[in-house]
Amino acid sequence: MTLELTSPELKTQEMIINMGPQHPATHGVLRLVVTLDGEIVKHVEPVLGHLHRAQEWQGQNRTIFQYQALIDRVDYLSGMFTSWAMARSAEEIDGLKVPKRAEYLRVILSEMNRITSHLLWLGTYLIDLGAMFGFPFYPFREREKLFDLFEAVAGQRMMFNYIRIGGVVRNPPFGWFDKLKQFLDEFPDRIDEYEAIVTENPIFLKRTQGVGYLSPEVAMNYGMSGPCVRASGINLDLRKFKPYSVYPEIDFKVPVMQEGDTWARYMCRIAEMRECVNIIRQCIEKIPGGTTEELRKTLGTTTPEKDDSKDLDPEWLLMAKKQNAGLRIKAGEGFSAVESPRGTIGCYVVSNGSDKAYRFRWRNPSFCNLSALSHLLVGSPIADVMAIFGSIDVILPDVDR
Amino acid sequence: MSDAAHGAKPAEEPEKELAAGPFGQFLKEHGINSKRLPDHSGAVEVIEVEGKDLEAALKRLRNSQETQLNYLLTITGTEYPEHFESVYHLWSYTSTKELVVKVKIQKTAVAEGALPVVPSIANFWGAANWHERETYDLVGIRYSGHPYLRRILNPWDWDGHPLRRDYKQPVDALNDKNPHSMR
Repeated sequence: MTLELTSPELKTQEMIINMGPQHPATHGVLRLVVTLDGEIVKHVEPVLGHLHRAQEWQGQNRTIFQYQALIDRVDYLSGMFTSWAMARSAEEIDGLKVPKRAEYLRVILSEMNRITSHLLWLGTYLIDLGAMFGFPFYPFREREKLFDLFEAVAGQRMMFNYIRIGGVVRNPPFGWFDKLKQFLDEFPDRIDEYEAIVTENPIFLKRTQGVGYLSPEVAMNYGMSGPCVRASGINLDLRKFKPYSVYPEIDFKVPVMQEGDTWARYMCRIAEMRECVNIIRQCIEKIPGGTTEELRKTLGTTTPEKDDSKDLDPEWLLMAKKQNAGLRIKAGEGFSAVESPRGTIGCYVVSNGSDKAYRFRWRNPSFCNLSALSHLLVGSPIADVMAIFGSIDVILPDVDR
Repeated sequence: MSDAAHGAKPAEEPEKELAAGPFGQFLKEHGINSKRLPDHSGAVEVIEVEGKDLEAALKRLRNSQETQLNYLLTITGTEYPEHFESVYHLWSYTSTKELVVKVKIQKTAVAEGALPVVPSIANFWGAANWHERETYDLVGIRYSGHPYLRRILNPWDWDGHPLRRDYKQPVDALNDKNPHSMR
């Protein structure tokens, strides 16, 4: 006897399931209320705010000097960029010109930060896809080396507080540039290693190719940015598009893919890491004053910290604004953005000339990219939810602030 | 020291009327009135439009070939001593143009206990959806016509709008043992 499955009374029922907030693949705490029809996602509602730390409120109620140390926590995987966005808007209001050497140090440290951020994404994304065979530890190996370099120059491994309004805090110690060069020499081989394991892996290709297609129209409608839109054929990279700092002096390419799927986003980030190596190499060549050893030799001093030499070229200074607890910026308002590993991170500051800002507003790439998630997920099977969510590289502290 | 400056205006507004910039001129040609505001750096055009013209103005600026301001960076709500501002930062995916659009609501025009109202643009611009929800949540500006105006960062039953100057944090707000708490 056969069952009559085509009977008109027999219909499927939609089911609502709750993913998170403590889902291991959400890289933080995000709750997704997913409506399913069988295996297919019909509707998604992200519920945010579990990591809300009132960053904007703190910006208005702490002095600017205090707040400088807090903003690394806005996006903890790329603290350099959050500091940089805030420093740039304050410098815009203040009309400060940052010394060249400081700008080069900013670019070097930020590009290193971009590499660490993409490496963490690579490792965790493979875990999201279920690759629990030990590969996720490969990127962490290189990430640790970069963190050691960060620690030597900024004193912290992740919450750097290195880029300040007006410049950067200190010169790298002796021997730091050599270690960095050594890392740059071996890192492209390491990327080859990741690619040998992942890029051509048939399981990886099956899970990612053609999955989570993002059309350029949707990306533009939702105000998305970063590698997500560059994988969809939109050439939006602020380093080229609205050049800031010393990026016009550096020769680099912006990887753009046309496919728009999860795999293209992966390839974009891999290509970006290779470009980072290229950018840092050029910066080490071009930095005014040379490495710390060369600078000290020219100045005739013996410690890496001292910067008060009389014959110091103004371009070799690190800081254009005195850093003390009473730090204040002029009255006015300014918006500035930099290209973070996740996209356009911007900061809108309204200052009334006191030591506290009147209004702080963050424009976070993760927040805007995540708002397109409900659009991306509809119609895909539930097994792909985490593959797509992971591929847009959302950092929840950056979403919730 | 610094608390005394809280109520002060962030920037002195000059008396004289500024000549319309290219975007102000463009809007005027299409029958939308705007007022140019002084900008600190001088590099970016800042205009103010009436709330009722907002939707038409932004649609024009977004879709027209001349302007192509199709990248909505962020929507900011700001409370000033005399008025509220809803600020739209517009960039373009295809050119380096940028524009800041402001809508001002005088506090005297807001009824006691009511929220200031600005028309929503989320119906035609997906990026605005969450920004408007966030501004409603934190600054307490109501975007009329928003498809789903609900708190986004704070819990749905939170009391008050934390970025208001007169906001007082409920002491026991997160203590679920307290029968009067909101949790």
